[in-house]
This record gives sequence, C-alpha cells and structure tokens, in this order.
Amino acid sequence: MTALALSLLVPWAVGLLLVVLDGRRRTVGWLGVVTLGATVAVLGVLAADVLRGGTVAFVTGGWPVGVGILLRADALGVTFALSSCFVLLAAACAETLLGVGQRTLPGLLVLLAAGLNGLFLTGDVFNFYVFFEMSMIAAYVLTGYGGGRAQLRAAVIFASVNLLGSFIFLVAVAGTYRVTGTLAMTDVAERIREVPPNAAVAVAVGFFVAFSVKLGLFPFHYWLPTVYADTRPAVAAVLSGAVANIGAYGLLRFGPGVFAEQLRLSATVLIALGAASIIYGGVLAVARHRPAEMLAYSAIGQVGYVLVAVGVGGPVGFAAAVLYSVVNALNKALLFLTSAVRGPLVAGAFVVGALSVAGVPPAVGFVGKLAVFRTAVDARSPTLVVLLVVGSALSLLYLFLIYQREFWAEEDREAVTDAEVRDAAPARGVSRRVPVVVLAVLLLAGGVWPEPLAAVSGAAADVLTGTANGAGP
Amino acid sequence: MTGPDAPPGPTVIVRVVARLLLAPSVVVAVALIVKGYTAVGDGFAAGMVVGLAVALNAVALGARRAEAALPVLRHAPYAAVGGALLALASGFFPVALGEPVFSHRPGPDEKVVSVGKAELMTAVSFDVGIFLLVVGVVTVLVHQLAEPDQEPQA
Repeated sequence: MTALALSLLVPWAVGLLLVVLDGRRRTVGWLGVVTLGATVAVLGVLAADVLRGGTVAFVTGGWPVGVGILLRADALGVTFALSSCFVLLAAACAETLLGVGQRTLPGLLVLLAAGLNGLFLTGDVFNFYVFFEMSMIAAYVLTGYGGGRAQLRAAVIFASVNLLGSFIFLVAVAGTYRVTGTLAMTDVAERIREVPPNAAVAVAVGFFVAFSVKLGLFPFHYWLPTVYADTRPAVAAVLSGAVANIGAYGLLRFGPGVFAEQLRLSATVLIALGAASIIYGGVLAVARHRPAEMLAYSAIGQVGYVLVAVGVGGPVGFAAAVLYSVVNALNKALLFLTSAVRGPLVAGAFVVGALSVAGVPPAVGFVGKLAVFRTAVDARSPTLVVLLVVGSALSLLYLFLIYQREFWAEEDREAVTDAEVRDAAPARGVSRRVPVVVLAVLLLAGGVWPEPLAAVSGAAADVLTGTANGAGP
Repeated sequence: MTGPDAPPGPTVIVRVVARLLLAPSVVVAVALIVKGYTAVGDGFAAGMVVGLAVALNAVALGARRAEAALPVLRHAPYAAVGGALLALASGFFPVALGEPVFSHRPGPDEKVVSVGKAELMTAVSFDVGIFLLVVGVVTVLVHQLAEPDQEPQA
C-alpha cells in the first residue's frame, strides 16, 4: 500500500517543485532523472508485491468500497506503469545529457510520470479520466518543447486532436454512468451485462475511439506523422513509448476488462482495423524519406499488432498484446532517441532496435512477434499469419532504409534537409550515447532471457481473463 | 492602451467596481472555505471567486496596471505550486502513518478543534491548497493571455 501511494506521491510532489525551478540548469535536470529513477524503483517494489501476493488495492480515506475512490495495482497496471516510467527515465536521461533547452522540461516529464502512474493504478473510471487529462496536459506542453515553428505546429495539432479524443472519452464516461449508475470498473463490468445492448455498444465504441486516437490506429492516425516527425527526438520517444501506452492499456482495461461481451461482438472489426494499420503504416513508412517520418508511420503499423492481438483475445491474445505493447514502447523509445545522437555505438543500437521491431532474434522484439504469431495461429487464420509476415518484412525493409541513409551514407546527410539545428548536427559525445546503448543492451537481454517478460505479461492477461470469466456467461 | 489620460477600455464605472469587488470576493472565498463540509462550499469554488475578481481587474485596468495595483499577483506561480504541494501534503501524509491516502485527521467521530466557525482539520488545509492552486493558475493564465512571454512571430 505504501509503495502504491509513493508511486503517485514521489513524481507528483517533486514534479511540482521542478516546474518552478529552472530546468535548463544541469542539477535540476539530473534531479528530474533521479526522481524518475526513484519512481521506477518504487514501481519495481510494487510490481514485486503484486506478482508475489496478488493485487494491491486500497480505498482512499479508508471509506467503504463504492464510496471512496479505489486505487488498485494489478499485474496489468504495474506492467504498463513500469514500462512507461522506464521510457520517461531514458528520455529524461538522454535530454539532460544533450542539454535541456526549456525550463519546464524536467518537471513536465516527472509530472507526466505521475499522471501515467495514476491512470494505470486506478480502479475507477472517472479517476482514470482525471489522471488521463493530467498526463495529456503535460504531453501537450512537452510537444511544443523546442519552441520552433515545427514544434508549435505539432503541439497545436496534437492538442486539438487529442482534446477531441478526451472529449469523446468524457462523453463515454458520462454514458457509462448513465447506463450503469457506477464508475468503479469492476461494478461497471458486472452491471453492463444488464444494460440494453445498443447503449452498451455505443459506450464501448466511445471508449474505443478515444483510445484509438491516443494510440494512432489506422483510421484515427492522421495527427500522428506530423507530431512524431516534428517534435524533438526525446519528446517523440516519450509520446510513442509512454503516452501511447495509455491507448494500449485503455483498450486492454476497458475491452476485455469491462466490455468483454462487446469486445467479442466486434472482434472481426478490431482485427480488420489492426491489419489495416499494419499494412498502411508499413507501406507508407517505406515510401517516406525523413527518418522521423518513417518511424512515425512505423508506430502506426506497430500498434496494429496490439489491436490484432486484442481482437483475437483469449489468454494467449491478451498476453501477446501486453508483451507487444511493452516491447514496442522500448523499441520506439530506442529508435527515436537514436535520431538525436550519432556514432558507431549508436548505429549498433539502431540495428538492435531495427531487429527488435522486425522481430528478428536475439532482440526482444522476437519474443513479442512470436507471441502475436502464436495468437494468429491460435485463431486458425492463415490470412492473419501471412499478413503479420508481410508487416514484419516491411518493417525490416524501412528500418534498414533508414540505417543505410543515416549511418552508412553519413556525408549525404545534407540531402535530408531538416530545419532543426541540433538535428542537423547530432551530438557525438560518448556519454550522450549511454541511454541509447543501455536501452539496446536491455532489448538484447530481454530477447536472450525472455522468461520474466513472458511471466509478467501472462500474469497481466490472467487479470483480464479472470474478470472476463467472472463476468462472462 | 494608448494614453494614460483616456484609456479606450472600459468606463470608469467598470474600473471602480472591479477595484471595489476585490475585497468582498476574498471575504466570500474565505466564507466558502470555512462554510464547506457542512454546507455548500469548497476550495475550488472559493478559488474561482477570487480568480474571477482578478480576471475582472485585468479586464478593467489592463493586465499591466492591474498587476501594478496588486503587486501580490506577482507571486501567483508560487501560490499555485505551494497550494498544490499543500494539498498533496494534506492528502498523502497518512502514508507515513500506514493509512490509506486522504484519511483525514481528526478522523470521523473525533473531536475537532474549531476557531469560531473554522474547523481545524486536514480536509480544510487540503481545500486551502486547492484554493491557492486555482487562484494562482487563473492569475498566471490571465497574465499570459494579456502579455505572452514570447513575442508572436508575425
């Protein structure tokens, strides 16, 4: 219980202090990194508690259940919180080493961690919304980091589209309360079965659209390429590695966790949308020239795998979705962060990330891809298996196109015009490569020794199928 | 704002009313915080009342002159952060005692020390924190909307 409260308190309180201090000073930047490190450590303790002793939960103020707000850490929430905070830590580390250019950056990164922890560790739909907004507001400001025209445009697009998404989410929350009379997730999951099917489907679609916008799935992706390509590498890493986790977690928590019946009804649609995302993202990534843009389209393709796994469902599908989300967060963090630094070590790290995205062993992406393939085989769908193979082949193709242009033909870099001064002259100091290399080593280690990751995602899937079995017929 | 003699903005009535409303709005805000818990009122509503008075002053006098007339507004960012920290401290202190967060002291059915109508309990300090946060944020917003830090690029 203490670890659960501390995982909110530490980033929240220190983040507020850091926002006031001048983040351009080195000490403040490192204080942010240390705070994020402490948050990851607290989450690690919490994860150990949860995996060993089951869900940790308490109601605020010691009120009876149903009156107070339920804070709940289960395997699913802790997994997502841990991976998101880890990505934030890596991004904060990388940006501090390069030199922070804006005074609020460390504070915002830490506050983003507080918001994400809050939404991953709550058992209440409205509380989820509050923390969701808290992290999104931090993310809106972060998108403008750098202050150039491109960044401001990205921030305006990101904020307006995602405010619309948040509004749809809020409407869905209101609808949930209207039809079920409760906002506690477990109660909603139980009472939704007695709700008229049309109303339940309408609410479920509202949640689905809201999370798809956040995740950048195929028909809702239109904002994503501009935003990911125009923001600073560290911010792009945070957006695709930590903020996008909200969408994946929301789909899992609200899909099988709350609207299990509606999810079963719409499984075909989800798989079709996921497949469209994979092909669309892959094909357009090959067609683009700027590495950041290719990575952005790659992100659209990668989240398709998560949606396919959620659509197929069952213990195998959900475990695959969790595993793939975590792996994808780390992959994307690594790839976006490599675009800020250069050197042979970074090139090596990029290769590891590329192999991981394509699902080639020994990188951890192989484990994720394997889980998704297993899901497709379980669904007895040859089409799906072929599609996943095509998607992986496309990702290998575009990532090595980037590799060839960026790391082999370095003297031709001027051909890839970029308004960004710092992007045009990527940093070369040895210490600046440390976060990227550490991430790459981690991806390799996860691939060589995948048991912990598989066990954690299995436990997370058990949380979902447990409620689905309890709530289903 | 062109000249100091004939500001083209609101009339003298608006400016006077804005100045006059400031003190009563603070009184109403205090009443809202003190009255809360047994009657209508909380820190957020109180903060909005004072925030609106500050915003009205900025509309009537112009942000720069409103801030010159009320130098205390310069501390708004610190009020916002201090308030948020006070609210967090009031919510999370039970962690040190091994209780769920937002367990307030004195607890239910315990004796509450009160000064006049004001009850001294952690729920009130939480609301004072929220009050400071809301006032601070509204003031900073008004300031930023009136005079953004960066010059807009034409």
